[in-house]
Amino acid sequence: MATPTSVTDDEPPSPPSGKQPRRHGGGGTAARLAARLLMSDRFVLYLTVLLFLAVLPFIPRIASAGNFSNLLSNFWPLLVIAVGQTYVMILGGIDLSQISTIAVASVVGAAVMTTGVDPVLFEKTVLWGTLLDGDGAGILAGHVWSMPAALVLMLATGAAIGALLGTIIARFDIPAFMMTLVGLLFFSAVAVWLTRSENITRLPEAYGAIADRGLFGVLSWSALIAVVVTVAAHLVLSRTVFGRWVFATGMNRRAAIVSGVPVRRVILWCFVISGVCAAIGSVLYSARLDMGRPAFGDNLNLLLDIIGATVIGGTSLFGGRGKIIWTVYGVMLFVLLSNALNLLNLSYFTVFIVKGCVILAAAWLDVKRRELLAL
Amino acid sequence: MRPTTRLAIATALLAGPALAHAQNDDIDVCFAYQDLETEFWVAGHSAMTQSLEEQGVNVIEVNANEDANRQLEQIRDCITQEVDGIIIIPQDGESVITMIGEANEAGIPIAVFNRPPNPDNPHDAIVVVADNVSIAEAAVEHLAEQAKALELDRPVQPLIMVGALADTNAIGRREGFLNVIEANGDLFAEPIEVPTEWDASVALANLESALQANPDVDLIFTSSDFLFPQIRAALLQRGRWAPKGEEGHMILGGLDGDVTACELIREGYVDATGVQDLFFEADSTVEALMTAIGDGETRPNQQIDDPGFALTQDNLEERHQDMWGCVLLDQK
Repeated sequence: MATPTSVTDDEPPSPPSGKQPRRHGGGGTAARLAARLLMSDRFVLYLTVLLFLAVLPFIPRIASAGNFSNLLSNFWPLLVIAVGQTYVMILGGIDLSQISTIAVASVVGAAVMTTGVDPVLFEKTVLWGTLLDGDGAGILAGHVWSMPAALVLMLATGAAIGALLGTIIARFDIPAFMMTLVGLLFFSAVAVWLTRSENITRLPEAYGAIADRGLFGVLSWSALIAVVVTVAAHLVLSRTVFGRWVFATGMNRRAAIVSGVPVRRVILWCFVISGVCAAIGSVLYSARLDMGRPAFGDNLNLLLDIIGATVIGGTSLFGGRGKIIWTVYGVMLFVLLSNALNLLNLSYFTVFIVKGCVILAAAWLDVKRRELLAL
Repeated sequence: MRPTTRLAIATALLAGPALAHAQNDDIDVCFAYQDLETEFWVAGHSAMTQSLEEQGVNVIEVNANEDANRQLEQIRDCITQEVDGIIIIPQDGESVITMIGEANEAGIPIAVFNRPPNPDNPHDAIVVVADNVSIAEAAVEHLAEQAKALELDRPVQPLIMVGALADTNAIGRREGFLNVIEANGDLFAEPIEVPTEWDASVALANLESALQANPDVDLIFTSSDFLFPQIRAALLQRGRWAPKGEEGHMILGGLDGDVTACELIREGYVDATGVQDLFFEADSTVEALMTAIGDGETRPNQQIDDPGFALTQDNLEERHQDMWGCVLLDQK
């Protein structure tokens, strides 16, 4: 079985095949330095620092405590979701369904714990009489454990959607792009069908507290949840046999099967992880807006951010290569970029053009890295 | 904001736009809108930027692209930039409550344009909104008169295309429609409600289904004029797209007063449309916000109603220039 990429944070990754990076004849010190920088684990981190320093003279407020708090508030939920996307991308797949998972989890969780929705808006929905009682309150509303139960239900929803899509992809060899696109359309529609497109409001105060920004955005529930998820995902990917199986499957599925890797099970579990991460992201985003929101499933901006941040981090679109820490850096760069573009007061289409160019640059760098690794 | 700036605003408001332009250039106003998808919001955006330009303030524009979470992030970014005031066209009446709360906490006055927060909003804001109930009533009353003139030997079958009911505007328009239908209970059958979610493709699909199931529909009221192209497509298929006076004419009404509605009312296809006075709403929003900034008021809390009116086939000649859609159409 092929072994996964294993490097320290200070060294460029060794090629998984055991080959050494190609040495270009006649290259000078600058070229070698550029190649080394390009292959560095911290390349995106350096870019983030460079971007920060570059925009600082033009927008000094970017370094204010208030802005750091904004940055972190935007960083935590995106990070959690991108961590799940990283697993699927290392497999060589992509999970477009994450935003629909966010929508369904948001609606289901909010429905069971709301203290009361407007009956005029909801009495014709399928939630009425199932997750909502005859007065419009959630079936768990008022119980001390309503919020924990709702959170468990949200995570279970994410896991179930991930398991369903993962099973179909693994069992029938359907491309992940196609199957998760179907999942995106289907579950976005489910979220709208459940609520007839209405938001579910009046959630418990304790739930909203999850999104409180805390001290400078660091000492908050969102931060704690995101850090725990990220560290756990890193440990599973880098220190367990399952993590090695994920890389092996992404590098060469046929070889992985021959080597005894339970490929179908690995694919299934990667999509479950992606679904659970999306559901945790749903908890954070829903708490921020203080509502269950079916329109999350139509939020293609968010999908762009998730995939963009993961790819920018360096996780390969071709599979077989990626790290959680790379995703951390990618999300950091993406969030900072969005924030800087907003603070520069650029028009929204300029923001999208710049973001698109950055994703394109990241994809190009991915190709260059592969060339250097002589894959 | 510095006291000198407040004095400048007060002077500017009194002395008129020319002086305002010169003295308000150290005021930053964040204008956050949800999208520019429909003609109405494009015109609203244009009216608002024009009003802000007349005041001579620096405008920071952000477009949330129909994403409430992004709009929250953009509002936070505006707060970080320590703007003097915020004008928001929110994605919906629920998500804006969190944003108003953030602005209140930061001590920045905020004005909500045309899409008001839901009634359980606990925070303070300037809210400028059309009186959707009375505008819808005025338009539908004209439609009811047309329905009476049909002199059918059965109840007239009305149909309403309902907006997203998380939006207070949609709720008000539906209420105005139902008020008139109930007041004429002997004339009308139970109305058919077609959900649109403010989405053109959803509206077309649902309208086609409704017309298939209920071929005897005599009157259609759309909660927003931007859906007239979808209504035309559905009625063309059934041979019911005809101007007033011709056989098969469907009694048609809407609300907003956009360019398409103006064209169609002039051509006789539409019988009446409720009109929001966008220019009044934009000017009122900016003036109220500038007054709050000038007074150093960080949490102004007031509602400004746009009474609006109905443009009908009967008053078309004398009132068409009061409708923003006709003004824009004549400028083309």
